[in-house]
Amino acid sequence: MSRLTITELTKLYGPHPAVQDFGLDVAEGEFVSLLGPSGCGKTTTLRCVAGLEIPTTGRIRFGDHDVTRLPPEKRNIGMVFQNYALFPHMRVAENVAFGLEMRGLSGAEVRRKVDAVLDMVQLGGLEARHPRQLSGGQQQRVALARALVVEPALLLLDEPLANLDARLRDEMRVFIRSLQQRVGITTLYVTHDQAEAMTMSDRIVIMFEGRIHQIGSPRDIYHRPATRAAANFVGQSNLFAGKVVERDNKRGVVETAVGRLRCECPPDIAVGTVGHVMLRPEAIRLVCAGSGIAGRITEQHFLGNVVDYRVTLANGATISVQTVGEEAPWAEERVGVMFDESRAWLVP
Amino acid sequence: MNQGATRITLLRWAFAAPALMLVTLFIAAPYLNIVVMSLRSPSNVQAFGPGFTLQNYVRVLSDRLYLGLLGDTLLYAAVTVALCLLLAYPTALHLARTQSRYRGLMYAAVLSPLLTGVVVRCFGWIVLLATQGLVNDALRRLGIGPIQFLYRPLGMVIALVHVFLPFMILPIKNAIEAIDPRLEEAARTLGATQAKVFLRVTLPLSMPGVQSGVILVFVLAASAYVIPMLLGGGRVQTMATIIVQQLLGGLLWPFGAALALVLSCAVALLLVIFALVTRRAMRRLA
Repeated sequence: MSRLTITELTKLYGPHPAVQDFGLDVAEGEFVSLLGPSGCGKTTTLRCVAGLEIPTTGRIRFGDHDVTRLPPEKRNIGMVFQNYALFPHMRVAENVAFGLEMRGLSGAEVRRKVDAVLDMVQLGGLEARHPRQLSGGQQQRVALARALVVEPALLLLDEPLANLDARLRDEMRVFIRSLQQRVGITTLYVTHDQAEAMTMSDRIVIMFEGRIHQIGSPRDIYHRPATRAAANFVGQSNLFAGKVVERDNKRGVVETAVGRLRCECPPDIAVGTVGHVMLRPEAIRLVCAGSGIAGRITEQHFLGNVVDYRVTLANGATISVQTVGEEAPWAEERVGVMFDESRAWLVP
Repeated sequence: MNQGATRITLLRWAFAAPALMLVTLFIAAPYLNIVVMSLRSPSNVQAFGPGFTLQNYVRVLSDRLYLGLLGDTLLYAAVTVALCLLLAYPTALHLARTQSRYRGLMYAAVLSPLLTGVVVRCFGWIVLLATQGLVNDALRRLGIGPIQFLYRPLGMVIALVHVFLPFMILPIKNAIEAIDPRLEEAARTLGATQAKVFLRVTLPLSMPGVQSGVILVFVLAASAYVIPMLLGGGRVQTMATIIVQQLLGGLLWPFGAALALVLSCAVALLLVIFALVTRRAMRRLA
């Protein structure tokens, strides 16, 4: 178990930076996700932490121990790959025992630890199977067991759920998170799936084009995105461009095309700053035409628990609005929309 | 449903027909001819005499000369296989893994022994390995030799290795390329040094390629004729050279056929044993 500190990490491939000035501090036992679209540098960052890539500049420390130049086998990590990377020529028990053997353990001790970890991932009884005889979810759990059995300082997961079907993915999400909390292991998790990052992480690092856009708790990331890219990548968002005209302690007033909107602002925003007021779809209500801002429903999608509307406003902008638990469809095409300004946020 | 299945079966046979005809014509028929020939009785005045006999097989299997030759042939083939494997594996590993922009060139270099005729390559080796040749010249300067390469098994095996090396390199290279690089990375993250990764992951997973290479080179080396003929210069005999002697020199067709079949059966038997020995490793990889 250890703390992970990454400072000013840059990785160049030729002249092209895959990761630039990456800095992150992961506390002992913390679960941090690197979230971003493919090619944003999240996997490169993880591979640098694993020692599978050597960073061009920057430092990586496990606790007080500088591992920047150490090869992977000397880092004491556990890693789970997207395709699980189980050894096809070894049985489940041999796969799990591999890391222990590399550490010089043998015989009864190996067997005891392998049994214990297979019980923990609920795979007892499958020791003698070969990986190809297992389902995707079972292979996933063997990979987890193989990574955890060596009691690594750090658990690294590279899109481990990407190859599973939707239901199994939900199940494994909960499983991995509860396992991580039970073991209390420091974990770095790479994903492009915001739902995974939101539900599992203590903190999320949002990355685009090799750079960090925001580091924060899932709630921070969702309600107070630091950049437009972050606002658009996580969940749906309605953005209204405007200029800050008033500013007090935490809030401000922004002049936008749909009128003046009050919103919460980041601390360093002064009057005159240009930005976007962000309202999540569930922070907007539909009301009868005549009140609120006039609009026209152009699409509605029934998703079961929520209904997702596209509403075109008088100025031509289309916003998305979500309502919860409606039984009948909205009959009138003409509606009004009301913004819940207590949930509005200024994206710089 | 049943009718459809029948139609598909018929269609399959129709598609397979040209290939089947080729195989029958060029493999099965000649082989059958040899089998029949090996059972004919010998004759001094024509290709074979009247009636059938097992006499030819009795002669091959009871004569120390021919059994010794069979043993020598299989031994030369085995040594060729071993040397090829030793030289081919590192080459294949490098070829499969290199990121060099000269990759294409290296690949061409590996294939180059196949680009010229085997006779030309043999004469090349004769020039190099002769007592006054380039190799002995160099050895003399180093204070070694001269070594008699030609007309001895040594020179023949050198040429066999050179000619059949690509048949060992290519299957091994393909097998290594088929290994997911993440398996090796996973092994590293689990604490394996690069040497351990090779021994525990890369080598076992490349075994299917090693197996095909060994089989190919063994079969080719055991049945090689031109190389033993030219580099052995008549002083190194193998089953292939003796068979040709029987057929062309002595016109003893039935006996030559029996010799050829004994060689084929011995090679096949060894390959079956090899396959059985390596089966356990293979089954795990299937």
